[in-house]
Amino acid sequence: MNPSRIPAILAIAAKDLRLLSRSRSTLFFALGWPVLMALFFGYVFGGGGEKGRIPVAVVDEDGTPESARLLARLSGTAGLEISPATREEATALVRKGKRSAAVIVPAGYGEAADRVFHGEPRRLVLEVDPARAAEGAMLEGILTGAAMQGMQELVTDPERGRAMIGRSLADLESAPPSEGRDSTQRLLGELRAWLDRPAPSGGEDAARPAWKPLEIERREVRREKAGPRSAFDFTFPQGILWGVIGSALGFSLSLVTERTRGTLLRLETAPLSRLDVLAGKALACFAAILAVEALLLSLGVAAFGIRPASWILLAAAAVALAACFVGIMMAVAVIARTEQAAGGLGWAILMPLAMIGGGMIPLFVMPSWMQAASHVSPVKWGILALEGATWRGFTAAEMAPALGVLLGVGLLGMAFGIRRFRGLEG
Amino acid sequence: MLVLRDLSKRFGDRVAVDGLSLDVGPGEVVGLLGPNGAGKTTTIHMAVGLLAPDRGEVRIGDRGSPRRPEARRLLGVAPQALALYDALTPAENLAFFGRVQGLSGPALSRRVDWALDFAALSDRRRDRTGDLSGGMKRRLNLAAALVHDPEVVLLDEPTVGVDPQSRNAILERVAALRAAGRAVVYTTHYMDEAARVCDRVAIVDHGTVLASGTVAELVAAHGGEPTLVVVREGVERRLATPDPAAALARILADGRVDDFRVERADLEAVFLSLTGRRLRDP
Repeated sequence: MNPSRIPAILAIAAKDLRLLSRSRSTLFFALGWPVLMALFFGYVFGGGGEKGRIPVAVVDEDGTPESARLLARLSGTAGLEISPATREEATALVRKGKRSAAVIVPAGYGEAADRVFHGEPRRLVLEVDPARAAEGAMLEGILTGAAMQGMQELVTDPERGRAMIGRSLADLESAPPSEGRDSTQRLLGELRAWLDRPAPSGGEDAARPAWKPLEIERREVRREKAGPRSAFDFTFPQGILWGVIGSALGFSLSLVTERTRGTLLRLETAPLSRLDVLAGKALACFAAILAVEALLLSLGVAAFGIRPASWILLAAAAVALAACFVGIMMAVAVIARTEQAAGGLGWAILMPLAMIGGGMIPLFVMPSWMQAASHVSPVKWGILALEGATWRGFTAAEMAPALGVLLGVGLLGMAFGIRRFRGLEG
Repeated sequence: MLVLRDLSKRFGDRVAVDGLSLDVGPGEVVGLLGPNGAGKTTTIHMAVGLLAPDRGEVRIGDRGSPRRPEARRLLGVAPQALALYDALTPAENLAFFGRVQGLSGPALSRRVDWALDFAALSDRRRDRTGDLSGGMKRRLNLAAALVHDPEVVLLDEPTVGVDPQSRNAILERVAALRAAGRAVVYTTHYMDEAARVCDRVAIVDHGTVLASGTVAELVAAHGGEPTLVVVREGVERRLATPDPAAALARILADGRVDDFRVERADLEAVFLSLTGRRLRDP
């Protein structure tokens, strides 16, 4: 290329970017639509920080300090979103799907809590949608844990423990003699003796360590390659691909418009070659795509928790993706003869590629045969490259296939576009 | 400045231009007059290097073929279509076309100001081009061809679709280009425009120049003699004569007449005489 033509090529690129900035429809498809896609699917797939919280309605029909303590423990449980209700309201909320379950604390719960070793056990009612069996099982575990915590407090709080044992022994005295009554009386007597044993200096709490039925030591061991931190980790790459597609199609359309409006004729009568005109447009398209990528990634990082694993690889992915779609833009632009054809052809080619490439639904929720078919779509490789540089934490070697495919498709498209565009010359 | 020698161009079986030759010198406006499909636009496209002729030669001044960049710098083309960007302002359009022609800095600013003034659009320089009237856009289309001050200007149907006032304004500007020493090729199918603005006219049909010369030469050669029309006692009498005044004097010697007029041939008559059909078929 003749260096003296570079100012003219830059002028064409600047003009195209100016035209892009004044086209509301292209701006919408390059920026507005991708953000909508990223946010919509992000929230659909559980983004936004509410992940894992089970909404539960609670009904306290007992009204005792013990029932209040149970509900307080549930409120403090991570993963539960508690809201109080009456029994009728709670059942209706579950039936309408507004709550996953309802926990009802019936009258007599607090009294039964004092009779740990005899009589009827404490009873809770758990109403749960059968379709949410997993959440129901999880709630049963949480409730059992909360009840065990109550027992633990009885045993480790001497005052409450002695009071409970006293009431229980009085109940047993009035009960008819039986082998079970005698053995329970002995057990309670031993327990009271354990509570009554003298405490060494330093107070009772220091002498008597808290009793726990089970102690679980929790250690965090992250997977070598972390999964997405939130749904936005995979919906933002999808959104970026839509922005890239919107930008590329906008430029395809503009090149066709240059031909139909006659401005291309005017440019060709200037001291420029067709290749110079195409170079200016490709440069503008490349810059526009990079700007779209940068804006959307900035939004994702600033507001939606996206954390690039490698800025260098992310830059490489962004450049390769831009090059790929510049090539696709050039190929579409030289095939179509009218603006309508360019728009129709562009979407007809890119929409299916976006769908099977994971542009709408993430690849990992697709059946395996569809995931295999996605290899033909540059959209898939674009998303993979962006994810590889963010939450997938790819190494450079792991990124290479995706980058190679993107650059290859881009070069093929450019070669086809240049060849055909030259062929259009008289 | 512009020399077209024996140009021919075929598109498949159709002959678009067949052996067309034309010379245009500085300060001269040469019209290509012919109906739609006569080959005028194909000729223009070959003249500016957009199309390669199958046969013949195009030379721009001393710089040779228009396919060479240094020759193209001498060319200014106003296509028939409004080749402008609607989303840009007139000033931005002109600045852009000036830049791709190699202008920059203060020289570019001066030429943009000149072109806006030439198009009488200085007060609309910051409006969107898409918001201008049809006549304004036509003037801007012309100004965009002139922003880099070319030596050779090719105007392809520059008054299509404009009102009489805007057409008049455009014709005045073409005359100004002639006065400034530019070589102008002006294609049109409007006879009155060709007669008014062109120093010479080439009548084109089926890609061939049927005749060329000044309007007077063409009329004299192909338009036939003037016709003296005399009305006497309610009866109209038509007399073709090379000297209508002498013929009228002879008729008056025989007695008074109620009315008389002289009908002179025009380019329409020339075209009819050359092709056997009218320039603009109904």
